[in-house]
Order: sequence, then C-alpha cells, then structure tokens
Amino acid sequence: MTSTVEVTDLCRSFKTSTGLLWRSHRTTEAVRDLSFSVERGELFGLLGPNGAGKTTTIKMLITLLLPTSGVARVLGIDVARDPQAVRSRIGYVFGGERGLYERLSAADNLRYFAELYGVSPRSQRTRIAELLELVDLSGREKERVEGFSRGMRQRLHIARGLLHDPEVLFLDEPTIGIDPVGARQLRELVVRLREAGKTILLTTHYMLEADLLCDRIAVIDKGQLLALGTPTELKSSVDIGQVIEVETFGLPQTAIDRIETLDGVRTVTASVRGHLQLLVVQGHPGAEVTGSVLAAVDDQVVHRVLTREPTLEDAYVALVGGS
Amino acid sequence: MSAARIVFIGGLLSYRALFNWLNPWIFIPTLVLLPIFQILLFAFMGRQANLESDQFFVIGNAVQSASTPCLWGMTSAIAGERSSRTLGLLLASPAPRVATFVGRAIPVIANAWIVSLISFAVGAWLLRVDLPPSRWPAIAVLVLVGSVSCTGLALVLAAISLRVRDTATLANSMYGVLLIFCGVNVPLAALPGWMPAVSAWLPLTRTIEATREVAAGASLGHVGGLVLHELALTSGYLLLGICILRYFEASSRAKATLEVV
Ligand SMILES: Nc1ncnc2c1ncn2[C@@H]1O[C@H](COP(=O)(O)OP(=O)(O)OP(=O)(O)O)[C@@H](O)[C@H]1O
Ligand SMILES: [Mg+2]
Repeated sequence: MTSTVEVTDLCRSFKTSTGLLWRSHRTTEAVRDLSFSVERGELFGLLGPNGAGKTTTIKMLITLLLPTSGVARVLGIDVARDPQAVRSRIGYVFGGERGLYERLSAADNLRYFAELYGVSPRSQRTRIAELLELVDLSGREKERVEGFSRGMRQRLHIARGLLHDPEVLFLDEPTIGIDPVGARQLRELVVRLREAGKTILLTTHYMLEADLLCDRIAVIDKGQLLALGTPTELKSSVDIGQVIEVETFGLPQTAIDRIETLDGVRTVTASVRGHLQLLVVQGHPGAEVTGSVLAAVDDQVVHRVLTREPTLEDAYVALVGGS
Repeated sequence: MSAARIVFIGGLLSYRALFNWLNPWIFIPTLVLLPIFQILLFAFMGRQANLESDQFFVIGNAVQSASTPCLWGMTSAIAGERSSRTLGLLLASPAPRVATFVGRAIPVIANAWIVSLISFAVGAWLLRVDLPPSRWPAIAVLVLVGSVSCTGLALVLAAISLRVRDTATLANSMYGVLLIFCGVNVPLAALPGWMPAVSAWLPLTRTIEATREVAAGASLGHVGGLVLHELALTSGYLLLGICILRYFEASSRAKATLEVV
C-alpha cells in the first residue's frame, strides 16, 4: 500500500532576472531535497516561515509546477509524468480574497468550475446546493462575489475545491485573514472533511490551528525539512521543558540577569505589556525551575505567575529560530 | 459531451465573468456610439475631399467595428484570468484547454456581429445610403464572417497577452493596424508599396472587399472565393493561437510563468 502523497528528494529552483539592459540572473532554491509522505485519511500540516517553500511544494503536487529534480506522487501517480490523471482526483484551495470571478454570482462561480471538472450536468445542481449548505452560504448564492466578505470568499473557495469530490485536498493557508469565529468554523469544516475520509495537506501560520488539526506536521525552512512528527513529538523533540510566565512590574535588569544564570533555565525573555513586564522563562527538559525563579524575584513585584507546558509555537520558534 | 458543455456553457459564463464591457454604460458608448462616430467622421471627410462614396465608408467602418469587441473581448476573456487570479485554478483543472479557451470565442463572435450590424444599419440610415432589402441577408452573413475572422486574430493576441501581462497595448495597436491596412477607408490600391502585402495576411481585408461587391449587386456565390480565403486565414490564426496557448502552458510548468494564483 503506497502513501497518498509521496515526496522524494524533491527540489525546485526558480531563475529570476532583473534589470532591463544589464540583466542579472539569480537562482532561488525554493525547495531542496524535501521528502515526506502523507498517508490515506491523514491530515498533514506543512509549517514554515514566509518563503520556506510551502506553496511551491503544493504547486508541484497539484501539477502547476514541474520539480527541478526528485519525484512527487499523488495517489501513486507521478505528478510530472501524468498531470492529467492527478488533476481530476485532487482539490486545491488557497487562502485570500482572490481567485474568484468577481462579477459572477457564487452559484455561477461554482457552476463554471463544475463544468471544468466535468461534474455531470444531472448532479451539478444538487452538488452545488449541498456544498453551499456545507460552507454556510445557502441563500447568498445568487449574489455577486464582489460583495462577499473575506470569510465568505474563503468558504466559497472551499466549496469550489470540493465540487468534484476529490480524494486529496491541498489547503494553502485557508484561514488567513479570517476572524476568530470564522476561522473556528473553517477548522470545524476541515475536521468534518477529514472525518469524511479525505486526505488533507494543510499549510498555516497559526500554530494553535496546526496543533488542533494535524495528525502529523512537517516543519520546513529555506526549502528543507527541519522536523517531522506528531504535534506531541515535535513539542518533546525540541530542547525545552516547562515554561514559566511571570507578570511583574519594576523588575531590575540585575534580577533578570540573575534568573538567566539559574540552574535549569534555558532562556529568559522580558517584554513590556502595558504597565506590566512579562518575563517568559523556558526551562531545560525535566528541570523544575518555578521555585528558584520566584525566589529570585521579590514577592512585592509579582503580579501573576503561570506555568505551562511548551506549546507547538515554542517548539516551532526553537526549530526555525535556531536554523 | 463535457467538452461541448465547456465550449458553450463555460464559454458564456467566463465571458460574462471577464469582459466587463457588457454593462450598458460601457457597451453603448464604446461599442455602439464610437463606431457610428467613426463612420460619420470618415464619410464627411470623404465628402470634403471628393473621395469614394458614403457607402464605401459605411461598409469599411461598419465591418471594421467588429474589431473592438473582438480584440478587447477575446483578450479580456483569456488574459483576464490573470488579473482575477484564476489562471492557476484553471490550469490545475483537468478541463480540455482547447474547449475552454476556444469556447470563449463564441460569445465574442456573437457580440461583434451584433455591434457590426448595428453600426452598419445606423450608419446607412444616417447617411441615407440606399441598399435594396434583398442585399441585407448576404451582408449580414459577410459581417458574421468578418467577426469570426477578426476573432481568430484576437485569439493569437489574447494568447500573447496572457504571457506579456498587458491586454491594452496589443489590442489597441492591432485596432489601428486593421483600420489602416484592411481597406477600411483607403482602397488597397491606394496604399503605398509594401502595405497591401500586409493587408493580404490580415482578417477583414477580404470581408470588406466582398461586402462592397455584394452591396454593389454581386451574389454571395460570386464572392465565395474571397469568403473561403478569409475563413482559411481564420483557421490559421485559430491554430496559431491554440499552439501559443499550449506552448505557454507547457513552458509555464518549467519556468513558472503562468501559475500565479
Ligand atoms: N514564480 C516564482 N518565481 C521566482 N521565485 C519564486 C516564485 N515562486 C516562489 N518563489 C520563491 O521561492 C521561495 C519559496 O516561496 P513559497 O511561496 O513557496 O513560500 P511559502 O512557504 O509558501 O511562503 P508563505 O508562508 O509566505 O506563503 C521564495 O523565496 C519565493 O520568493
Ligand atoms: Mg505560501
């Protein structure tokens, strides 16, 4: 049994040139020797900073770009060799407001893509109604898209990506620029799609979202794989233990310096929050540092103390920041 | 079946989506009034200079008026995918490309035909050009041929503008070329040296010639040779347009030129 998405030593570079008369050429290595696989029914997250190569990887998987070298297979089919066979079985949704026909109604936008994907004329009407219902746009389908809010557009994008009932879905930052409630609804939708058996590859910059949704995550930077595993594995793989957040006021720099030298303390960061100071102390794995940190800070100035386990964001920052 | 639906239903949907002149506030001044002004301008200049007849100018300019909806309609309907950021989605779909793009030509042709017929009728009426009713059906057929042939050339420009990211310059320049080279206001015989050689490779030249002959009393059969020649040229342009689109799509996967979303 092969994986649903299989990426092996994938590379992609871009040649760009600038200047009109003295053209200078540059090569950007957007994806470098990337390998990972996504199993059937899995919700897989691709994380990484801006320009890491996430969208480029997705564009290769959805047949828009050819790999410079390496192999990518979707549903066992080589995306470079047989793009046509891949296209009808995958769906692609990207975040943002563009990519819709502004002057057409929501229903006409869907109708057009239903034609492009060869959805049979008999099932088109019910399929479109079903999807409008799913993305909570029923009743608004006759309105032109130019009047739609960002969240509505995003949901329409998802409906478009689902028209032909694809087995694999590629979601590139689906919640970008959406309000918290809208983003939550979108995440619920993604969970439902996963429950319906779709294999999903998702990119996002929201760590909480990735933690909530993804079965496994690949973190990439500068086109290369930095880490791969379940959210729990990633959190424990990096070299951080407990995190203590102390809200104080008027803490002298000498106190901060003293905390930094304490046993078991990995990093200390201090930032201003209103009239308060926020001290974030990361401990080494296994070290119990709450007591000694608090002892180093005068009781009088402590406003609030919070101890928490490292989040995916802590792990991500440790991975990407250190690379 | 599905390809036929993409041609007709898809073509119309995408034309509505991407050609923003279908709004009456743009359509009437640009596609209806402007060609009529152009007919009047050249007819009055002709009267002043004692050149040609009103009928000569009505026919030339009315047939050429198809070029605005053809050139602009076709480039918008194809290169517009780029500005609406839907090109990537289109290229990621399994839809047959020839059907997808050529389907957009059908509403373009229909639009151009209507525009041409209106300018013809209104121009003839304003200038009191007397054409026997029996000649109108043949004229309508020829005007349709002109719209089809101009759309063929427009597909080539549309394909190119997909890559050069500029729809206005090419369409505008070509409008000027057609106005000068196709015998619209100046008979081909009066064009200097090398120019008629260019005219022979442009759409509309033969349609305008055929329409003038039919208006003067010739039958459709009599101008059949010209019409066939025009349609052969059109097929050439269509084929060239399709080849350019295919080439751009293939090279885009390697060079990342069209995949922008
Ligand atoms: N068409 C292109 N031409 C030239 N360079 C490109 C092209 N597309 C992407 N790149 C470059 O490739 C690198 C990776 O870009 P990519 O869009 O894949 O990043 P990303 O991980 O999706 O970033 P973001 O989180 O900002 O969306 C960047 O350096 C980018 O400038
Ligand atoms: Mg991206």
